[in-house]
Amino acid sequence: MTSQDRLTTALNRNKEWAAQTAQQHPDLFPTLAAGQQPEILWIGCSDSRCPETTMLGLKPGDVFVHRNIANVLHAADLSSSAVIEYAVHHLRVRHVVICGHTCCGGVAAAMGNKQLGILDPWLMPLRQLREQHLATLQSLSPEEAMLRLAELNVQEGLRLLKQKNVVLEAVEQRGLQLHGLIYDVGSGVLRPMDTDEPEEAGKARLIAYKTE
Amino acid sequence: MAQSPDQQTVRRYLQQSHERIFENNRKWVATKTQSDPAFFDKLAEGQQPDYLYIGCSDSRVPANEIMGLDAGEVFVHRNIANLVPTVDLNVMSVINYAVRHLRVKHIVVCGHYNCGGVQAALTPTDLGILNPWLRNIRDVYRLHEQELDQITDDTARFNRLVELNVIESCRNIIKTAAVQQSYQENEYPIVHGWVFDLKVGLLKDLHVDFEATLRDIKKIYSLPSGSKASS
Repeated sequence: MTSQDRLTTALNRNKEWAAQTAQQHPDLFPTLAAGQQPEILWIGCSDSRCPETTMLGLKPGDVFVHRNIANVLHAADLSSSAVIEYAVHHLRVRHVVICGHTCCGGVAAAMGNKQLGILDPWLMPLRQLREQHLATLQSLSPEEAMLRLAELNVQEGLRLLKQKNVVLEAVEQRGLQLHGLIYDVGSGVLRPMDTDEPEEAGKARLIAYKTE
Repeated sequence: MAQSPDQQTVRRYLQQSHERIFENNRKWVATKTQSDPAFFDKLAEGQQPDYLYIGCSDSRVPANEIMGLDAGEVFVHRNIANLVPTVDLNVMSVINYAVRHLRVKHIVVCGHYNCGGVQAALTPTDLGILNPWLRNIRDVYRLHEQELDQITDDTARFNRLVELNVIESCRNIIKTAAVQQSYQENEYPIVHGWVFDLKVGLLKDLHVDFEATLRDIKKIYSLPSGSKASS
């Protein structure tokens, strides 16, 4: 298939999809035009193998989405901060999901030592986790170590999420739920991570990060 | 901690909607494996997507669905109002990885009419941390002030700003060293601008002239090969 054919394919498939969707769910497009009330904010990896709405079996209108390289959150990243602010404060989503996955190229890059230009500062949080958990990661097989780093990255993302006042406030006032997931690219299955923490940690966080 | 009946109802509802997700996921896996038993085995070997899609976080515009593409076919970045600010490390990392490492053939910027981000940028309201992000859209307005001011109908002006914002994002993608150098060596990727119409579910190609835009930006932004790892 030539390069132009590939693009034409996507545009043609869109026509088919629009016709099919309109037939199966006649009310969907008119409803969508009126506004969005998604229940889920999804923060995941850009990886082509992790299409959130498809793998969740959901429809347009269900999931607000931010996807970046290796589902990394940086405290000062304006892009993800704007997404979280809009989804939690303005759209009032009920769940925030951070989803990591197996076979992640960003995780693999951070486990290696090759210079990658502009990607290096972006992947820095992964290297920081590698440093913090060096002994554990070195004791594992390469595949296990990649999975472990992907899990640590999700936990770190949740930690950063809970440092944002907009999130703390929504958890407190209306029971916003936060979830960590790992997606297994080789089986298509989503696995929830255990993200419980001691009560003390939650209290300390409120003192340190809650603002008025 | 004691919970009020209201809180208990909310918690139960949240638990149910959470469980539904995993149930749906299992169904999707079963359907995929039934039609192609090796579907996930192939994905586990790696990704070779042809497309990078940069679109809005809006829940009504799911990338794979609107393009009719399957898992493995499109690399995706979504942010508020599909912006490509040249100093945003997040989107710049995505473009760099997709072009230099995955060697995508097409980069699509997809905006959509009724975009809340673009609407907010047309409104004199202080939105806190969203202000600096959305200011990029106000800058697009300033660049096309004459054209936009001539449109008297509010919806038509809003729609045109959605389109111009997409075109500006395309331009910012073409400014990157990754895109310029890859195109020089391989004749790809090509950058495209689309708008999704929520009311009918259809994509509209804005026919961004990639070659012409590339020539145009090169006078000032040209970054030929030499420093391999630049952005």
